[in-house]
Amino acid sequence: MERDENAAKNPDGAAGDRAPLLSVRDLATYFRVEGGVAKAVDGISFDVMPGEVLGIVGESGSGKSVASLSILRLIPDPPGHIARGEIRYGGRDLLKLSYQEMRSIRGNEIAMIFQEPMTALNPVFTIGFQLIETLRQHHPQMSKQEAFERAVLRLEQVKIPDAAKRMRDHPHQFSGGMRQRVMIAMALCCNPQLLIADEPTTALDVTTQAQIMELMLTLRARREGGSIILITHDLAVVAETCRRVIVMYGGKIQEVGTVDQIFSSPRHPYTIGLLESLPSAQRGKDRLHTIPGNVPYIMDLPTGCKFCTRCEKVIDRCHQEEPELHQLKNGQLVRCHLVEDEAVKVSGDMPSTTTSAPAP
Amino acid sequence: MASYFARRLLLMIPTFIGVTVIVFGITRLVPGGPVEKELMAIQSALAGGEGGAGTTMVGTELITDKLRKQLEQSFYLDKPFYEAYLLWLGDVVRLDLGESFATKEPVWTRIKERFPISLTFGLTGFILSYLICIPLGIAKALRHAGVFDLATSIVVFVGYSIPGWAIGLLLLVFLAGDKYWDVFPLGGTHSDTFASLPGLAQLIEDPDVVVDANGELVREKMSLAARFLDRTYYMILPIFCYMMGSFATLTILTKNSLLDNLSQDYVRTAFAKGLAPMRVIFLHTLRNSLIPLATGLGHALSVLMAGSLLIEQIFNIPGIGLLGYNALVGFDFTVVMGVLAINTVLLMFGNVFSDMLYALIDPRIRFE
Repeated sequence: MERDENAAKNPDGAAGDRAPLLSVRDLATYFRVEGGVAKAVDGISFDVMPGEVLGIVGESGSGKSVASLSILRLIPDPPGHIARGEIRYGGRDLLKLSYQEMRSIRGNEIAMIFQEPMTALNPVFTIGFQLIETLRQHHPQMSKQEAFERAVLRLEQVKIPDAAKRMRDHPHQFSGGMRQRVMIAMALCCNPQLLIADEPTTALDVTTQAQIMELMLTLRARREGGSIILITHDLAVVAETCRRVIVMYGGKIQEVGTVDQIFSSPRHPYTIGLLESLPSAQRGKDRLHTIPGNVPYIMDLPTGCKFCTRCEKVIDRCHQEEPELHQLKNGQLVRCHLVEDEAVKVSGDMPSTTTSAPAP
Repeated sequence: MASYFARRLLLMIPTFIGVTVIVFGITRLVPGGPVEKELMAIQSALAGGEGGAGTTMVGTELITDKLRKQLEQSFYLDKPFYEAYLLWLGDVVRLDLGESFATKEPVWTRIKERFPISLTFGLTGFILSYLICIPLGIAKALRHAGVFDLATSIVVFVGYSIPGWAIGLLLLVFLAGDKYWDVFPLGGTHSDTFASLPGLAQLIEDPDVVVDANGELVREKMSLAARFLDRTYYMILPIFCYMMGSFATLTILTKNSLLDNLSQDYVRTAFAKGLAPMRVIFLHTLRNSLIPLATGLGHALSVLMAGSLLIEQIFNIPGIGLLGYNALVGFDFTVVMGVLAINTVLLMFGNVFSDMLYALIDPRIRFE
C-alpha cells in the first residue's frame, strides 16, 4: 500500500510544493507533577503552510495550549519541559536554538496572543510603553519617535480610535475587546511571519469576538505569507476562519482535515461528539448532545485509545491498544481503530498533515 | 482625587481629637499625679530637714496649698476635664506643648533634643531594612523552595519570633561583655573620645591638633569619618535589634508578592515579546510587586519619633522611647501628651502619604 500523495489536496489553495512555514514533528511536552509525569502533549506533528490559518480544537486539557506555548518555548521549566521533537522554522530547529536566538524570534517572527486580555497586559505600564518596548527590543536602531509612530499606526490598524492619545493610557482604561485589540497590535507590531492566537476571543462578548476575528484575518490578508495558528474550543470560530483543522484530545492529534471534511464527514468519534454538542437550528428543541464524562485527569489517561473511556463506539481493542494515525483516501487523518480498514497508516515520523513537507 | 485627599486631611482632625481625648482622660483618672508627686517630694524634704515637729505641719500645709495652686495651673489641673482639654488643645493648635513638670523646660525642647537620635536610628533602620529585605525577598522568590530560600526563611522567622530586646540582651552578653567576646560597646551612642574603634586612631588626621594639653583627645577636632565610624560602631547592635521585627514581614511580603506576580499572564506576554529575563523580572514584575511595599513608605515620616523603650533601656540610648516612658512613670503629663500629639500627627500624615504613594505607583488606583 502506498500513500496517495495526490489525494491530499492542499486545502489552502497554496501551491502543493511550497515548503511549510513551520513544521512540528513528534513534539512532546511533559510536566513533572506529584506522582509522576504528566504528558500534556505527547508526540504531535503538523505543518503550517505560508498564508494558512490552521485551527487547533479540543476541550480544556487536550494539550492545545501547551502545544502552542511549546512552539515559542514558553513552557515554565520547572515543572514542564519539552521532552522530544523538532520544531522547524526557517530552516532551523527552534528547540536547538540558543536562548538568545529564541528571544530574537519571539514577538518578532512568531508572535502570540493570549486568552485573557484583562491580565495579559502589564497593568502598571502605558500601552504605548508596552508597544514601543516590543518594537525597540527587536529593532534597537529604531528611534523613539519612529517607534512611537509605528506603534500608533498599529493601534490605528486594529481600529483603536484616537490612537496617538490612547498611547498614554494604561490597560485598565480599555475594555476587554479594546485590550485584545492592543494585544493584536502588539503581536503584529514587528510583522511576524506566524501569529499564534491562543483562544483570542474566548473571554470576549460574542459581538466583540467577531470583530476581533475579522481584524486578525484582514491584517493577515494584507501581508504575503503571514500564517495564523488559531487555538480554540469554539468550533463556530473554526468553521468561519480556518481551512484546515487539527482535533486534539489527551495530548495527541486525533483527527486532521479541511474544515469541510471535519464538519461534513467527521470520522473520529470524538470529533463527531464535539460537532453534535453544537446547538443547531435544524435540530429543534431536543436536548443538546453531550460527550459523556469529563476529560480525564492528565495522569489518569487510559493506556489504549485516549478517548476510550468516553467513546460511544468503543470496542475491546480500544482499551488495550492505542490506534495509530491513519490517512483516509480523501486525505483526512484519523486516529481510530474503526477507520483502519479503509485507511493507510501514517508512520510515526511522517507529517500528520495533508501536505507532504520535505525535510529541509 | 484632590477632593479625596482634602477629605482625608479633614478627617485627621476628629481622629486627633479622639486619640488625645482618651489619653488626656486617662491622665485625669489615674491615681496620683504631677502635683502629688511634687508635694511628696517637698514634704519629705521638709520632714527630713526639720525632724517632723508639730508646728512645721501647719507651715507645710501653707506651702503646699500655695504650691498646689501654682502647679495645678500649669496643666489646667484646677479646671474641669472638658475645659482643661479644650485649653490644652488650644495651646497645641498654637504649637505650644506646655512645660515639662519634671525639668520646667518647654516640652518641645525636650522632644526636639531627642530627634537626632530617633532620626539616626529610625532612618538607618528604615533604609537598611528596605535595602536588605527587598533584594533578599527577590532572591528568595527566584530560588523558591530551594536551599537558600529555606535557610533564609528559618533565620528570618527565628528573628521574627524573638523580641528585639531579648536579642539585644543576648547580643550584649555574648558580644559586648567581657565574658565571651568583647567586640561591641555595651551601650550609648558614641564613645567619649570618639576613638573607641580599634584602628580609628589612624583616621585621626593630625594627632597634635586633636590631643589637648593633658593628652586627651578632643572630639570637636576629630575628622568627620572618624566620628561617623565611631557612631556606626555604637549603632550596630541596637539597629540590629530595631530591625529584627520588620525584617520577616518585609522580606516575605516582597517574596510572596514577586512570586505571585511572576505567575501572572502579563509575565508570559513579556517573555513572548522576546524581552530579556532580567527586564521581565526587574522591570515588569518588580514594579508590580513593589506596590504593596510602597504603602509602608509613607510611615517613613514616623522615623522622627522612632524609638523603642526596651531597646533604648538596654543599650542606654537617650531616645524618644525612654523620654516617653520616664514621663509616664514620673506623671510628667505635659510631656506624655506632647509625645502623643506629635506621634499621632506623624502617623496620620504617614497614612495619607502612603495612600498618595499607592495612587502614584499603581495607575489603577484612583481615589474618589
